Amino acid sequence: MHKEILLVEDNPDDVELTRIAFDEAKIANRLVIVNDGAEALDYLFARGKYADRDPDDLPSIMLLDLNLPKVDGREVLQAVRANEATRTLPVVVLTTSAEPFDVEASYALGVNSYIQKPVDFEQFVWAVKQVGLYWLVLNHPRTA
Amino acid sequence: MSDNTGQDTGIDRFRLAMDASGVGMAVVDLQGRWLEVNPAFERIFGYQAAEIVGTAAAALTHPDDVAMSQSFLRGLVDGQIPALDAQKRYVHRNGETIWAHVNVSVVRDGAGMASYLLVQVRDISAQHAAELALKARAEAEHAARYAANHQLQLFADAVAHDLRAPLRSIESFSALLADRASDRLDETDRDYLARMRAAASRMSGLLSALNDLAYVTRTELKPVDVDLSLLADWVGAELQDAEPQRRADIRVQPSLHAWGDERLLKLMLAQLMGNAWKFSREREPIRIRVSGRREGRIVQLEIRDEGIGFDMRYAHKLFEPFQRLHGPDQGGGHGLGLAIVRRIAERHHGSVRADSSPESGATFTLELPAQALVEESADA
Repeated sequence: MHKEILLVEDNPDDVELTRIAFDEAKIANRLVIVNDGAEALDYLFARGKYADRDPDDLPSIMLLDLNLPKVDGREVLQAVRANEATRTLPVVVLTTSAEPFDVEASYALGVNSYIQKPVDFEQFVWAVKQVGLYWLVLNHPRTA
Repeated sequence: MSDNTGQDTGIDRFRLAMDASGVGMAVVDLQGRWLEVNPAFERIFGYQAAEIVGTAAAALTHPDDVAMSQSFLRGLVDGQIPALDAQKRYVHRNGETIWAHVNVSVVRDGAGMASYLLVQVRDISAQHAAELALKARAEAEHAARYAANHQLQLFADAVAHDLRAPLRSIESFSALLADRASDRLDETDRDYLARMRAAASRMSGLLSALNDLAYVTRTELKPVDVDLSLLADWVGAELQDAEPQRRADIRVQPSLHAWGDERLLKLMLAQLMGNAWKFSREREPIRIRVSGRREGRIVQLEIRDEGIGFDMRYAHKLFEPFQRLHGPDQGGGHGLGLAIVRRIAERHHGSVRADSSPESGATFTLELPAQALVEESADA
């Protein structure tokens, strides 16, 4: 059974590039895309337009950009870690900034991993593949 | 006039001198009472002599300085302190505080017993106020500069972040296009796409450099004793690792030390040695020399290469941001590297200069502090 990957990203170009990278890596999991932090939380907690979802059916990982409209990445991370159901969900921050402030804040909020999106396309694809392979193939997930 | 003319003349002369002196003078008895005060003293304190003679001298001292004054005076009379020269506060007749420079000495009789105290007072209230104003202004300037730097960093962060994303799009989709359409593209098409990718890559380098410049300007220094030789060896190894196929002869003088921030000094060496390597592209092997010597409180560091050098006529432009003396085919970059080097040197209260002649290489000379300054305050 392949669980979904939740991609929280507002930049449509980066969404496309991430999709291409997962294709190249031959990662079969379905990519669920939400474009802002509010929608990410609705998805995870099965409310709003995602009220029909099964709240126990969590994605295998969440790829989270920090700079999002409405509810930003840090707030999403905070909400996810504060809720018992989602507390141990693997979260990988995939963002443009590598400012120490952002990195520190993310780790303090309990992120599993922090990746700065490379500008160079080949490096970006490589990075996304690594993340996918590590978390979806190598890493042993928590049993449901 | 008595028979002992010498003594009386001496006393008269002293009295005349005391009356004429521009310095406030007073004689105080050992019980701490004013015995005599001169006209200058009257002007400083706002009292007529008749009003204060016979009263306690301590009454004119500012309440906060009374305890300190008493203990000093005791030490003076007991002979533990030879003389008292200090700044203290008094209170003017009108209640205002007077900042004064005071010199008190003990007048002893022929047998060496203390007879009375001679107090000389200069009003330094104006100087004191000026000093406070100066300090306040320095603090305000420091705060303003800190705020400006903070704004600069925020701007640099925003610019770098907001530009990186679209840059990635340009770079990535050009590459994808080249790949997908490779059969349908001719030589020229592929060339155009390659130029787009190269331009995006240059812009990415520029953004990183701008980020470095802002970081170097704003970051708080953590000064320690830095082993420059070790840092230079490290940078040399990194340069060689990046291009293992190039032959290089990098020599670093051992035991070079400076007082400064290790991260910034490494960044500076990386920039200078990186330039030396880059502009020695045509040379085989690439020769770089790092040497230095201590000159008093300064350490002078030289980074020398035997590359293409530069025209000294444009030397004044060398350290300006965005000024380039070499085109891209000669190894020229985005023109920020040396601006970063100069900024780091400035933050260390040091300097950097360059010498060269075309085709004979270049020498960059740095002056850095060899040890901590006595007053190591928050850096500008």
